[in-house]
Amino acid sequence: MEFNRRQGLQGLLGVAAGGTLGAATAGREAAAQTRAETLRQVMGGVINSLDPTTPGGTRENFGLAMNIYDRLASFGRKPGEGGMTFDMDNIRGELAERIDRSPDGLTLTFHIRQGATWHDGTPVTAADVKWSLDRAVSARSLAPPQLSSGSLTSPEQFKVVGERQVEVKLPRPDRLALGNLCIPFAMMINSTLAKRHATADDPWAMNWLKENTAAGGAYIVETNRPGQQVVLRRNDAWKNGEGGTPPFFRRVILQTVPEASTRASLVERGDADLAIDLAASDVPAIESRGRVKVVSIPQTNAFQTIVFNTQMAPFDNPKVRQALAAALPYEAMFQAAQFGRGRILFGARWAEVPDAAFPRTMPLNLDIDRAKALLAEAGHPNGFATTFTFANSMTAFAEPMAALIKESLARIGVEVTVQKMPDAQISTMVVERRLPFFTDIGSAWLPAPDYFMRTYFTGTHRWNYSGWNNPEVAALTQTARFETDPAKYEAAVKRMINLVAENVPMAMVWQANQDAVMAKDISGYTYWFHRQADFRDLKRG
Amino acid sequence: MRALRAVGRRVGRRLVASAPALLGVVVFTFLLMRVLPGDPAVFFASGPNAGQEEIDELRRVLGLDRPIPVQLAHYLYDVGTGNLGRSLTTGQPVLRDLTERLPASLELTVTALILALGLALPLGILAALRPGSLLDHGVRLVCSLGVCVPTFVSGLLLIYVFYVVLGIAPDPTGRLDIFAASPPDITGFLLVDFLLVGDMEGWRAAAAQLVLPAATMALFTLAPLARMTRASMLAVLGSDFVRTAKSIGLGRGRVVLVYALRNALLPVITITGIVFSTMLGANVLVEKVFSWPGVGSYALDALLGSDYAPVQGFVLLMASAFVIVNLVIDTLYGIADPRVSIE
Amino acid sequence: MSATLRHAGWVLRGNPITAVAATGVLLLAVLAIFAPWIQPYDPIASNVRNALQPPSAANWAGTDQLGRDILSRLIAATRLDLAIAISAVSISFAAGAVIGSLCGYAGGRMDRVVGRLVDVLMAFPLFVLAMAMVAALGNRVENIIIATAFINLPFYIRFARAEVNVRRDAGWVEAARACGDSHLSVVLRFLLPNILPAMAVQISLNLGWAILNAAGLSFLGLGVTAPTPEWGIMVAEGARFITSGQWWLVAFPGFTLMLAVLCFNLLGDGLRDILDPRMRT
Repeated sequence: MEFNRRQGLQGLLGVAAGGTLGAATAGREAAAQTRAETLRQVMGGVINSLDPTTPGGTRENFGLAMNIYDRLASFGRKPGEGGMTFDMDNIRGELAERIDRSPDGLTLTFHIRQGATWHDGTPVTAADVKWSLDRAVSARSLAPPQLSSGSLTSPEQFKVVGERQVEVKLPRPDRLALGNLCIPFAMMINSTLAKRHATADDPWAMNWLKENTAAGGAYIVETNRPGQQVVLRRNDAWKNGEGGTPPFFRRVILQTVPEASTRASLVERGDADLAIDLAASDVPAIESRGRVKVVSIPQTNAFQTIVFNTQMAPFDNPKVRQALAAALPYEAMFQAAQFGRGRILFGARWAEVPDAAFPRTMPLNLDIDRAKALLAEAGHPNGFATTFTFANSMTAFAEPMAALIKESLARIGVEVTVQKMPDAQISTMVVERRLPFFTDIGSAWLPAPDYFMRTYFTGTHRWNYSGWNNPEVAALTQTARFETDPAKYEAAVKRMINLVAENVPMAMVWQANQDAVMAKDISGYTYWFHRQADFRDLKRG
Repeated sequence: MRALRAVGRRVGRRLVASAPALLGVVVFTFLLMRVLPGDPAVFFASGPNAGQEEIDELRRVLGLDRPIPVQLAHYLYDVGTGNLGRSLTTGQPVLRDLTERLPASLELTVTALILALGLALPLGILAALRPGSLLDHGVRLVCSLGVCVPTFVSGLLLIYVFYVVLGIAPDPTGRLDIFAASPPDITGFLLVDFLLVGDMEGWRAAAAQLVLPAATMALFTLAPLARMTRASMLAVLGSDFVRTAKSIGLGRGRVVLVYALRNALLPVITITGIVFSTMLGANVLVEKVFSWPGVGSYALDALLGSDYAPVQGFVLLMASAFVIVNLVIDTLYGIADPRVSIE
Repeated sequence: MSATLRHAGWVLRGNPITAVAATGVLLLAVLAIFAPWIQPYDPIASNVRNALQPPSAANWAGTDQLGRDILSRLIAATRLDLAIAISAVSISFAAGAVIGSLCGYAGGRMDRVVGRLVDVLMAFPLFVLAMAMVAALGNRVENIIIATAFINLPFYIRFARAEVNVRRDAGWVEAARACGDSHLSVVLRFLLPNILPAMAVQISLNLGWAILNAAGLSFLGLGVTAPTPEWGIMVAEGARFITSGQWWLVAFPGFTLMLAVLCFNLLGDGLRDILDPRMRT
């Protein structure tokens, strides 16, 4: 037999190819099994730190941290308009199995769950909890200013009182203290591990925790490519959830896909399982094709607002603000920008607010004749020129809003120049109060009416968008904060709402829906205050 | 040996000569970024309750509280010692981000160029063989069409047709199917790494991800390459030595492909180099559309977020690439044709 | 002169594509000038009830998110887009020609300094530079023009410099100097007009490129601000609807943009043939 060199080579190649092919087939079968237990979410934003308290962190970090870390307590869930939402009035223990509140409301005692462990298997101790709380109020991070809104300001307030007991002392019976322990910033950290990586310059291991975790939550970070994707693996030992059961998905892939239309196609074609940040314009079409499930829940703790800078002429004159508020084309904007998806905050007809819910529908109505009259009273019968600004990231809905505003205000003689800015620039301009008239989105993690008022209508920080300085509102927010009598609280809030309606520092126009688009077999989606998906709620089938 | 030394001397001199340009690029970018009206501290301290204290703290950490000349001096010192700063958007050192992402951009650009050259050379040659014919005009029209569609439109259109409607392309989310195992990180170029470990299925998966973005870029680069091939072929075909070759009875194919093409390639190489260094910096849009984890989309996000360090690092990287590509071309030229001086 | 015209006629006859392209450019110019009288509707007036309607007898190219007539917006945008492209290219052309020819004529230290600065600019990733400039200056029309002009500048400087360098020692330049003309006047009155034809070719090619550049900036949110109609921003906005099935939002603006750029590019090619038979490629 003559040996042909070429044939020999072909044979060899065949073996090699068969070998890899066989291995690959086995791999594919395993992949198909795990695919059902894998959740792939595509998102427009990025994750830039595994520690939610990192200054400069993104919103996506917050959602991730909820899944990696535990907190002492957690908000409950309740059915609401459109689907499940978080329930601030129903707080349960998470890492704590029991929470005792003293009768005077000044002491909270947390009992750590029996047998709770960190990802590395070591038990959770009271010292860990104390260190974590100390960090949240002491580190130079995003956490301290937020926690101070619940009167949590100093490490002296936290005391280890038993092997598994930690006491939190409050100076006043603050209604938001416990709520502040349910947010991403109040995460519980494996202090032994974290302290190993702390330095003299960085006693709270801020740098190390950006890229590493010292956690005990439902998911463990498997790989992390900052700015691109994070892959999570289920922590099978985790029992701190609702009902003590571990989450359904074994693996979660969180991937950044900048183009919104691509995200929509990925979910529709079944390549991705979940997207919560699609363009509002895409959602009706996706819904009508019916290939995927759309869960639309109004973002009840957020709002779109059109702001007048009350520190800049002519908007320092309340009459001018009232005039412009009467000339905004609310319904048309809601349809064109939001495709009618959300809960409106305009169109009320009351003169005195009927109840103390807030944000709420306000007496904002399009009435050109009234606007003209008000403008004449304010001394601008022929109108004036101004600029309307919005951020780049809001283009999809703010651009149509701007076009409609420009058109409508022209009818009362106000000439509007539209200006679009990169987000970083607009935040600077807002802080420095250099924009006369703009739109922005506000949201509150702890959506109590007085908290909204305090955050968005008082103070010198960025969130008081309009720079409004009303002494009565400032005083009322401080009393309402610690008011224990419900009737008095309600009266204070109502008074503030009336003042806002009368002075219109800004026109809050609607609460957009969060349109969560997901594969048909996914259930359990819940809208959370941090406006990100919590993978612990989700299951397939 | 003497020739080699001469080349080495030229390269060295050329590198020294390009140093001021690089320095100029660094300083100019630094100043341009400081002119941006956005204050990164304000933007990145915008937590739900961040106040002035947090902003000031971040400014201090970022060194933005110092006067600009001092900041510039610090930055130049850092760059000199190989530290390009830290990105606020990804939280990583810029140098690490860039080295991680550069292979993605290079792989995409090189593939696109190979694709474009594969089309442009034959088209250009055909057009040059029959100047003024219908074929010539046709080639011109086709190439011109490619260059007049914005890349983000052609990219989105390709995705729509091949992924959404036909479903034959893999999902347009980066370099590798998210469920596929990635190869060990040897060179950073997926196609090379898969070949090295002999994983042909992985290689095919990575190649499939490359097709659409590379085609989008290739469409855009076709025109200059084909045009230059045609021009250079026309010049060579009219020259004396080709006429001589033809007159002594050499076959037409042989004359065109061997004698003419070889001589016509030099200018094509030059333009390829220029196109390469331009595309490397300009494929921001393609990377954005295809979620490609390259340096362009990285710089874009940073720029829109007033995140200074990555933009500065990116510009420096691109400027260096520009210098290196030019150097390589000139050196090749110098070797091929000793009459050319690269001074 | 008549020889050039004859040559042009000859080239156009042998080059039907250039003739078509020239007609296209002429048509665009007519649209731009008479836009207010041609457009069937007000390009800015919204009509939310008529939003996102497919092409029909009333709205030939359909309506957008705010119910505005897309055809009217496309026609109105011609004016702005041509204005952006023409002003950007003229600025870089004028500045580049003057600086470049002065350098080429004078040589010496000034030439070296400018040469270094041009090197710096050339080494920049130019699109990113344009993005950064618009981000820094704010996205208004004039800033988009400035950024586009700026990133074109080095090419024109180099081009003019090289052309003047070749002619600097020509006999007629010597003659002009001998007649007592100052250096400045030699450059402006003799050298500059002499290199203009060669540079004109670049202009047409660059016009198309400037339109594309503005479109790219718009896609990244660094373009002209709404509600001003502009092709790039219409394409970028329309691209968002590509998956939701409203194809007319991207198809018509995309097609218009493409045709305009194509006309400029083909015309540029043709001009090269007409103005400089030696460069005929």
